[in-house]
Order: sequence, then structure tokens, then C-alpha cells
Amino acid sequence: MLRYYFLLGVRNLRRNPILTALMVLTLAIGVAASVSTLTILHVMSGDPIPHKSQRLLAPLIDNAPSRGYVQGSKPGDNQMSYRDAINLSASKQGERRTAVYGVAGAIEAARPDLPVEGVNGLGVESSYFAMFETPFLYGNAWSETEDKSKAKVVVLNSVKSEKLFGKENPVGKHIRMINEDFQVVGVLNNWNPLPRYTHPIGSGSAISGVDEMFIPFSTAISLELQPNGNTTCQSDVQPGWQGFLDSECTWIQYWFETKTVADRGAVKDYLDAYMAEQRKLGRYQRQQPAQLFNVMQWMDYLEIVSNDTRLSVWLSFGFLLLCLVNTVGLLLAKFSVRAPEVGVRRALGATQGDIFRQFLMEAGVIGIAGGFAGLLLALGSLALIAQQSKDLAAVARMDWPMLALTMVLALIASLLAGLLPTWRACQVTPAIQLKSQ
Amino acid sequence: MMRMQNLSKVYRTHMIETHALRGFDIHVRQGEFVTVTGPSGSGKTTFLNIAGLLETFNGGEYVLDGVDVKGMSDDARSRLRNEKLGFIFQGFNLIPDLNLYDNVDVPLRYRGLSAADRDKRIKDALAQVGLGSRIKHYPAELSGGQQQRVAIARALAGSPKLLLADEPTGNLDTQMARSVMELLEEINAGGTTILMVTHDPELAVRAQRNVHIIDGQVSDLVKKMPSLFDVNSTSATVSATA
Amino acid sequence: MEIRPILSALLRSKTAPILIAAQVAISLAILANALYVVNLRQAAAARPSGVADESTIFYMSTSPLQRRSHSELLAQQQRDVEVLSAIPGVVSVSQTNQMPLSRSGSTSGWALDRKQTRSSTSASMYFTAGPFIKTLGLKLIDGRDFNIGDVVEVDDKLDDVGKKFAKGVIITKAMADFLFPGAASVVGKPILYGTGDDAAETRIIGVVERLQSTGASVKPGGEYSVIIPHRTSTPYSRIAVRTEPGQRDRAMAEAETVLRKASPVPMIVRSRTMETDRIERYRNERAMVWMLLAVCALLLMVTASGIVGMATLRVAQRKKLIGVRRALGARKRDILRYFVMENFLITSGGVVAGLLLAVALNQLLVSQLEMTKLPLNYLAYGAGALWLLGFLAVYGPAWRAAGISPAIATRSA
Repeated sequence: MLRYYFLLGVRNLRRNPILTALMVLTLAIGVAASVSTLTILHVMSGDPIPHKSQRLLAPLIDNAPSRGYVQGSKPGDNQMSYRDAINLSASKQGERRTAVYGVAGAIEAARPDLPVEGVNGLGVESSYFAMFETPFLYGNAWSETEDKSKAKVVVLNSVKSEKLFGKENPVGKHIRMINEDFQVVGVLNNWNPLPRYTHPIGSGSAISGVDEMFIPFSTAISLELQPNGNTTCQSDVQPGWQGFLDSECTWIQYWFETKTVADRGAVKDYLDAYMAEQRKLGRYQRQQPAQLFNVMQWMDYLEIVSNDTRLSVWLSFGFLLLCLVNTVGLLLAKFSVRAPEVGVRRALGATQGDIFRQFLMEAGVIGIAGGFAGLLLALGSLALIAQQSKDLAAVARMDWPMLALTMVLALIASLLAGLLPTWRACQVTPAIQLKSQ
Repeated sequence: MMRMQNLSKVYRTHMIETHALRGFDIHVRQGEFVTVTGPSGSGKTTFLNIAGLLETFNGGEYVLDGVDVKGMSDDARSRLRNEKLGFIFQGFNLIPDLNLYDNVDVPLRYRGLSAADRDKRIKDALAQVGLGSRIKHYPAELSGGQQQRVAIARALAGSPKLLLADEPTGNLDTQMARSVMELLEEINAGGTTILMVTHDPELAVRAQRNVHIIDGQVSDLVKKMPSLFDVNSTSATVSATA
Repeated sequence: MEIRPILSALLRSKTAPILIAAQVAISLAILANALYVVNLRQAAAARPSGVADESTIFYMSTSPLQRRSHSELLAQQQRDVEVLSAIPGVVSVSQTNQMPLSRSGSTSGWALDRKQTRSSTSASMYFTAGPFIKTLGLKLIDGRDFNIGDVVEVDDKLDDVGKKFAKGVIITKAMADFLFPGAASVVGKPILYGTGDDAAETRIIGVVERLQSTGASVKPGGEYSVIIPHRTSTPYSRIAVRTEPGQRDRAMAEAETVLRKASPVPMIVRSRTMETDRIERYRNERAMVWMLLAVCALLLMVTASGIVGMATLRVAQRKKLIGVRRALGARKRDILRYFVMENFLITSGGVVAGLLLAVALNQLLVSQLEMTKLPLNYLAYGAGALWLLGFLAVYGPAWRAAGISPAIATRSA
């Protein structure tokens, strides 16, 4: 029977074509506005590593001075000092762990007549690649031995590799970078997680920034590579590189990976114990406990999604509501002229339920049409939005869930809009309608 | 077949109370062709609406084909309409967006018959009214007489026990009216009970039995019509053919 | 014109008018808030940076591949400045560590009293050893510009910056007003770089009218900047260049070549115009403005189509009635007025509800999204816009209603 109602609904699209087109268009615009803003929010706030995000943990230790500290306020900075980072790496807590910091330098071209090229990337430990499941096009990550020996090895991203070596496999080749000889051990295959969650603070966009190369953390430290990103120093710093390393300056993003979600407690216990121990050495003047965030909590804490993005979503859903009310009016007009038909159908044996299903289905058919039109409009508006900025270009991408949502949203909106008009149609009493003819 | 006893119907607004039917009694037997006549506002249409389960009543009894209709839910009355009754209206009441085939299909859909069964019934019914070759046409493409034939086919397709007709020839010229009437008689001859409201004394005479309603009551139950409402029906005939 | 009969007619068929009023209300709520945000963003993007004629400014950054000593880096800075000054069309050149609106730079805390545990404010730190004020065209409104004697040489790697800090700095007026509210002149007043015992004391020797920070935040801190006469070997060294009008792009292209040529070792050379920085700084604001305006336009279109649709329907339903009224002596303009008035009543109902809804929506945005309170004049503008929209939308259908012939009254339906 629903199929019958569906076919009737499709047939009735042609009745009052202008009115129907207006309804479809109104719904489509409303849905398109909501879906395009929601797509941006969805991609920005999406889980970049869903099967693992609960087991990747970012610790936050507040080592800022107590000077000017108000109890209960947020930690002085969101990054970690070098001292804490190497202590945590030595702790062997969790399944894997890595320190991450932004580095930048230059790669000398193979031919001296070509201009020198800047390159930016990350200093990371060997476990980084397994922790964040980076796909390799060629080669592999370096090993822990190379972490220890401060080896001059590098993993490139595919874009940089292609620029330097063309399409061929560069593993084993050498590049002259940061005034040193680095051996290429691996090339990542198009790995640009959205948001760029492994190193969200600092240089480049947290949304669309790209890391072109990865070198061992220990190597970067030994080459005295200044952090490329945010550095916060709230206490005294002794001159020189060693002075910087020994300071309470914060500039490192740290990550733990645990075997199970439940192991988070163990890491937290360790951090509390570690902080207690360090306090004995006179560190951490603020009496703040250690904090631990999983990936999504961390993105939330750092407020990666801007309030403007949320505002757009809210306002566009308000707009959808307007379109919905508008559609109610149009559907009322469309259905009210069908009172005679309802009268005949009721006389011929249709129950109120039958009429309800038929008219609601008709509203649903309009919703489906609106969904398709809305999808086209949403794709169009996303294409326009993408031209606004690099960040928006990275996030203004429709995926299957959003595509499905477009249809569902249009359908729900049309059914909601159809409720009142359909209820009105059900109230038509057959006797009166037939008499008036 | 259908029996009403001491039936009453009151329309109420917050100002006026109107007794459309009171102490109404009628008994129609299986296979009968009964015409209903009466002046405007006498309660003919109310009677037909109640007989057709389109309206409820306030008091009395109504048994249709062995089923006591009193206090039935709206849904149950809908089902009963669908299974036992066929309607023919003065204004044909075809659905303009549907072709002939789909129009006849409407009551069958609500009965939940199989596609093959429906197809056979629709084609048979349209063939019976002589429109078997025009199933893809839309109502607007047909003459009034043809439209009424489609309405009759629609009523017949569900093989109703009782066919209710409200001025079926009221909107037709004499010649078309006659042919529609002949069709109804043919259907009656096939065993279907028919209850027809009409203004036309000529038609009323053709039926086996005529029921006359005045002021919401059955005033007469005679086989042959009395001459006293000649004036009334003549004027009605004039206005209908004008 | 009497309102009572119109009202009672409205009350008898409520649904359609309520739907229209609801649309007007929702539109008003969104419109007022969206336009407020649009205005905030546009005002933010229109703020002056303090730099005169940004279209003639670009800046270069060079970084050698080899690690260089402090003195080598200073020598290179000197050479770069000379090379750039020699380019035809270049008016003024100054070394600096950062540029306004470039979204990359350093910020530090400043205090007034050693006993303070927290800094009074943080400010954007412009370190320069060149004619920075002249090159950027900053407007000095009090005190004096730096002279050669003010400049201090600091080796970031070896020196404790606090100990070698310059004796005089130039700050922005916004910062001066914040630190010394009501002071006639702040020139000569001491301020502290950092807090506590090891804070470095320096004096204000000049005040510029305006110099935005590198982030150009919309908060007051967006104009808290300090210019410090340090010659440093920071790897973030930049050279700001002002050209003659229309000469910028040519000079910038030339700059890259001459800098590369002048360097004995290979180095990375980057160039950027201030206009580019401005565009990128306000990219998100512009995208937001654009999006909200699009939503507002669609909003008004949908609401207008709703009003036109309903008015058309109501006219069609009352065609006969209109004919009777005309037959009874109503003039065309009485009919026109009737429908305009009816629509005005409906719109007004929507506007009243919309004002409440707009305030409620704003409350929600304030509590959830850190928005600021909606000024009342936006409500007035929004209400005015919807009244006007309602009038324009109903005029067509009402005009057609007025054109209905009285003869229709005698025709049967």
C-alpha cells in the first residue's frame, strides 16, 4: 500500500507545478544551508582516528609559576617542557609514547642553480608512525635504535618526495637538509588528517596544515633545531640551547597510546606520582593535578572548532526552521484544494489512517525531491565556500554520512511540515464534501 | 439487506437544533431497486449519508447486511463501506488526476486485493459499462455520461451488496440519463440491491419501490407513486434539464 | 480604516496568518543577530593597522642554510638592508622581527611595579634597529623617535635579554591609555619588561597613535604594541620595505633576485606584501560575512514568497466577497487598503514575537558561543526591514484584489 501512496505522491508532484516547485526549492535551500554548514562542523570536529582516539592520550602538566595564579583556572600553557617530555618517554608508560614538536629548515636542491626550498615538519619518536597509523607509500619508520643514536634519517610526505625525487622510490637516498645529510627511510602516502590532531598547536593551521617531513626527536634536539611553533616561557631561561632545554619553557606536544581504554587510569596514576616526585625537586609551584585527554577531548579542550563555525550551523538551522514553516503553508494550500478527493476516497472505503498515510507520503515525496535538489545546492555552496580559504577548502567536503544526512533531513523536514496539512486533510468529512459537489 | 428502525439524526450548532430525521423506518430487501424521493430539505441526503455510513446517527437502529452499525468506529465503518457499499454521485466525483483505470482502482486498493485480482476487476467493470477501450483516458476527456459510467464501474468493481446512488442522472441530459438508468437496471437485474435518491418522477416510477420522505420521516411506502408530488418533481426535472 | 472587522476575519481563519507571523518572527530573530555579527566582523576587518598606505609595503625574510654566528647574521642584515635600499622605487627600509597582521610574532608581559605578581598587560614586541616608524608610516603623537644612541645590540644565544634591555621604548596610544589612564603624557614614565625582581626597567620615550599586534585581535590587546630598539640576530628577522606608489610588485620581484645575488651562500628568500597579510588575517571574517549575508538574503526571499503566497490565496478565497463589497460601493483603494492592513496586522504580530525571539536567540548565543549582547538598534532595523518586506510582498496580490470587478458579485460561484 505504501508503494501505492508513493506512486500517487510522485504523480501529484505534477499537480500545481508552481506550488510544488516552490516547496521543493524552499526545502532544498533550507536543507542545503544546514547541510553545508554542518558539513564544515562535521569535518572539523570529526574523529580523525575513530578506532583509536580513545586510546591516544595527551597529558597536560601545569608547570607555570604560581605567580599570579588563580586556583582552579586553566593551566598556563597547553604544551610540555623538554624535561617532562624526556622523563615521560623514559617512563615506558602505556603501550607506546612519543614527543612531538614542530621543526623547519631548508632542503638544498640537487642542482645549485635551483632556489633553496623551505621545509617544515615534526621531530617525533619512532613510535609516532605506529601510534597514528600513518600509511607508508615507500619504506618504513625508523627504529628505536635510530632514536637512541640520533640518526640523521627522514620520512617525507608524498608531495615533498615527488618534488625532490619525482615518482621514483627515494628510500635509501640522501638529501641535504638543515645543513646536514639525511637518509630517506620512508615516504608517507597522502597522510593529512583533518584536523591536524597530532600537533595542533603552533605553526600552520590546526585544520589544514601539512607536515612535509619527520625526523627523530633526539636528532632534532641534538641539531639544536628551534621549535617551529608556539613556545611559552613563564620562568627564567638560561642562555644557550642547553639553558632552553633545562628551562620550564613549554613547546612540546606529548602523546601516550594505551593498550585498552581502561589503561588510561594507570597512565593518570603514573602522572600523579610523577608530579609528586618532581614537586620534591621544587618543580610545579601550582597545585594543579595532571590532566589527561583523549583525542576528541584534546581537540575540544584546544577549541579547534571556532565559535563562528558553530554560529553558522545554528543560524542555518534557524533558516531551515523558517523554510519548514513556509512549507507548512504551501502544503496547506496544496492539500486544501484536494478536499473533494479526500471525500471520495473516504466514501470509497479509505480510513482516516489511509488518508493520513497517503498525504504524509505525498509530503515525503516532496521531501525526497527537495533532498535531491538540496544535495545539488549544498554541493554548489560547498564549492563556493571552499574558495574562501585553505582551511575551508579542506573541510568543505561532502562525505557519505553527510550525503545521507541531506536526504534524511529533507525527508524529516517535509514530514514535519506535512503533519498539520495532512491532519487537516484527514478531518474532511465525506458527507459534506459529496453534498457540495 | 438493510433495515433502519426508529432512526434519528439531529444537527446541532450552538444556536439551533435541526431534526433531519426522526423515527425513521425503512427495510430494503436483497435484490430490490428502491427510489427515494422528497422535497428539498426533507432529509433525503441525510438518509443516504447515514445509509452509506458517511454520517453517524443519534438514535435508533441500523443493520446493514446483518451487521449492526450503531456505535461502530470510523475505521470499522470505512471498512464496511469498502466491502459492502458502492456509491454513485450526482457530480460523478472522479479523481481528476487519475486515469479511468486508476479511478476504478481506488476502492480496490483500500480492500488490499492482489494486483492480478484488481486488474481483472477493473477491466471487467470498465468493460461492463462500455468503456473497456479507454482505460488510459482521464476524466476530463470524457462526456458527463461517460464519466458517470466510470463512476458506476468504480462502484461495481468492488462487487458491492448495496449500491447507493444520489441523483445519478441529475447532471445529465435526457438521453444520457436514460442510458445510465438502463445500466443501473441491468446491474439490479444481476442481483445488486440499489437505493437511489432522485427528483425525477419518471425514474421513480421505473423502480420496483418508491420511498417518499417528508420532514425527516418516511411518509409513504407504496409500490406505485401517488400523484401529489407531481408538481415538485416536475419543477426539479425542468431545472435539471435546463 | 477600521481594524476590528479585519481582526475578526483573521481570527476566524487563524492557521495561515499564524504561519506567516511565525515566518516573520523567525526571520527577524535570525536577521537581527546575523546582521549584528556581520557588522562586528566588518568593523573588525576595517580597523586601521596604524601603517600608512599599506599598498606600498612589502617585507622580505632571508635565512641562510648554514648556522651563522651572531656577528655574521648582523652583517647579513646590514647588507640586506643596503641592497634593498638601492632598488629603484624603494622609499624606506627597516629591519624588524615581525609585521603587524602577519599572525606570527612574539608577545610579552609588561608591568608598572616590581611588587606586581602578574603583568599589567601583555603586548606585541616589535624589535627593530632601523627607521621602523618612518618605513611603516606610523604616526608619532608624543615624545620622539629612536636615535642611534637608543639602539642596543643583543645576542639571543648568549645574552640575558632582561639585563641588556633598551633604556627607552615607544608604545601605542591604546597601551598608554590602558597603563596610565587619564595621564596627560606618558613620555618619560618607567615601565617594566616582565615582573618581579628580575624585570627590566625601561622608559617610554614616545607614543604612536596606533600599531596593531601581529594577531590584530579585536580585543583591546590588538593595539597593545611596544617598539624596542634592539639589534638582534633572531632567525625571524624581516626587512620591511616601503616603495613609491605602484612600484611595490616590481620592487618586490627585484628584491628576491638582488638578495640572492648579494648573498655569498645559498639562502631561503621569502617575500610578502602587507595586503596579502591583511587578506589572510581577515579571511575567516570575510567568509563569515559572506555566508551570513547569503542566509539573510535567502531568508527574506523565503519570507516574502510566503507572504505573497498567502495573500494570493486569501484574495482568491474571497474573490466573491470582494466583488460584493465593490458592488456595495467600496472603492478600489478600500480593497487595497484592506489587504495591506490585514497583512500589516499579521506582520506586526510576527514582529512582536520576533523581537522576543531575537533577544532569546541572542541570549543563547551569548551563553553558548561567546557572542556579545545584541544592541537594540538592530532589533529596530530588523523590524523595519520586515515591515517593509511585508508591505512590498502584499502589494501585488492586494493590487490584483482591488482590480476584481464588482460584476463578479452577481455571478453565481
